[in-house]
Amino acid sequence: MEDQKPQDQAPFGQQPFGQSPFGGAPTPQPKNWLVESILVTLFCCLPFGIAGIVNAANVNSKYAMGDYAGAQAASAAAGKWTKIGFFCGIGVGILYILFFVVLGMGGALMNR
Amino acid sequence: MKLKYILGLIIAVVLSVVYYKFNPEVYHFFPECPFHKFLHLDCPGCGSQRAINALLHLNIEKAIDYNLLLVLSIPLLLAQLSAKVYAYFTQQAIVLNFWHKPITPKIIFALVMLFWVARNIPFKPFNYLAA
Repeated sequence: MEDQKPQDQAPFGQQPFGQSPFGGAPTPQPKNWLVESILVTLFCCLPFGIAGIVNAANVNSKYAMGDYAGAQAASAAAGKWTKIGFFCGIGVGILYILFFVVLGMGGALMNR
Repeated sequence: MKLKYILGLIIAVVLSVVYYKFNPEVYHFFPECPFHKFLHLDCPGCGSQRAINALLHLNIEKAIDYNLLLVLSIPLLLAQLSAKVYAYFTQQAIVLNFWHKPITPKIIFALVMLFWVARNIPFKPFNYLAA
C-alpha cells in the first residue's frame, strides 16, 4: 500500500508529457482505502466502515474527473474513518475479552 | 516492514485456529457487536465471526446463512490478497483495476446498505439474511 506516492502527482489538471489521458494511469491515484473499509464494515461494526466506502467512492470519482486535489482530500477522509473504525473494533474486542476473562475467572472460582 | 508481515501472519494464524476450534455460536467469549447488543438489530457485519467459523469448516451454506455479504466479499478480498502477495514476492506491482473504477465503491455501498436494511426485515424471505 506504500507504493502510491501522492506527492508525485502532476499539478491539477495537467497530464504528464507523453501519456494519454485514457488507458494508462497518468498520475497515481491516491489510496482509496476501499478494501480496508470493506474489512472494517464486515468485522468491526458500523458507520465508520461505511463512511470509508463513501469516501472511497469520492476518491475514485474525483480522480476519474481529474480533480486530483479533491481525490487527495477524499483519500485522507477515507483513511481517517477506516482507521477510526479499525481501532474502535480492536478496542471493543479487547475490552470484551478483558471483561470476559475477569468474569470467567470469577465464575470458575464460584463453581469450584 | 518485514516485521509487519510476520506479525500479521502470526495474528491471522492464531485467529484462524481460535475461530476453527471454538464456534462463536457455542462459546460466548467472542466480542458481540455493540450495535446488535444495544439496538437488537443486525449490522452488515453481524454474524461474521460465526460465518468465519463455518467457512473454516468449509461449510459455505452455513456461512451464507450467517452473513451473505462476508461470503460474497471473499473472492474480491482474496484477489486483492493474492495481488499483494504476488507483488511482494516478485517486486512487480499488480493493480487490480476494478478497485479504482468510480462505479465499484458505489455498487459496494448500495449492496451494504441494501443488505443492512433487508436483513432486519423480520419476515420471509428477508429473515434468511439475518445473522
